[in-house]
Amino acid sequence: MRLRLLSRIDVPTRSDWRVFAGYCAAAAVYIVIGVVYDNFLLSVVVGMAYLVVAAWLVPRTIRRMRR
Amino acid sequence: MSWAAHDLEPYAFQKHLNLKVAFVPLLIGSYAPDLMTKWFVYGIHLGPWELKASNPAQFHRGWPGFGFTHSLTFGLLIGLVIWKGFGSKLWAVSFVIGHWAHALTDTGDTVGTMLLFPWTFHFHLDAWAYAGQTGRYKDAAAYFSGLGSMWDAVWIVYGFYSWRVITSEYYDNVIYRADAFWPWVNRWVPRGALLTLYRAAFFYGTSRWIAWTIWAHVVHHYPYDLTWGGPHWAPAEHP
Repeated sequence: MRLRLLSRIDVPTRSDWRVFAGYCAAAAVYIVIGVVYDNFLLSVVVGMAYLVVAAWLVPRTIRRMRR
Repeated sequence: MSWAAHDLEPYAFQKHLNLKVAFVPLLIGSYAPDLMTKWFVYGIHLGPWELKASNPAQFHRGWPGFGFTHSLTFGLLIGLVIWKGFGSKLWAVSFVIGHWAHALTDTGDTVGTMLLFPWTFHFHLDAWAYAGQTGRYKDAAAYFSGLGSMWDAVWIVYGFYSWRVITSEYYDNVIYRADAFWPWVNRWVPRGALLTLYRAAFFYGTSRWIAWTIWAHVVHHYPYDLTWGGPHWAPAEHP
């Protein structure tokens, strides 16, 4: 009964959680930088650029270096 | 004025409208009313000069001023220009939805918006204090101490409830397919970077909500005042 109920709930897969954890790590760094240097929080362009670097460019570079 | 709702509302609309909207104009519409005005509300320094509105609330939301940018009629007008001028009904409708969300959300503060401009009546719910005239940092302190920040929190929670919208499957099957903009940019920018950019406003809105809350209440110890119209320690502007 409980298992049937759980199967109906839309739960993230392990892969979804892994991606989410990566973004949480990026967010934690962003928040720390932002609290210390509050100017960092003001621009949406800076926020987007930071995310592209932290969540895409850095992981991609690390993956390529490992190969 | 809202600090994070305008970043997050487009994802909520996206969840319900799927292929009927295009995300980029939805987000641009959500940002549009403040794009031309915010820098002059808070002021900027250009060498020895400071450029700042003498009456920031009047400039931002009033008439005479740029308050018409926060009206439903202005959103509709720009939507018509996009539709008839650039031939995209999808972009036009998406822009209008994003723009109207911004205009309606900003009725929550004590200044409100002239929704039906050229009728210059300000629709305002007075739920949180408009303190843009105090400068960027005092405004942040006031906003993140009142009901405005709770309104943002509602959108953050709803955003996480709509988590499917920010998955890569959703991006591939809905966002990318709905709008020719994405395949066009994909000629130069890799798919992974585009997916990250698609998620960026969600990340930005949520992260800076947390950061400003810590800044206001842990670093600077501004008191919370979640009463209607608060925080009452901040000087609220009215129309």
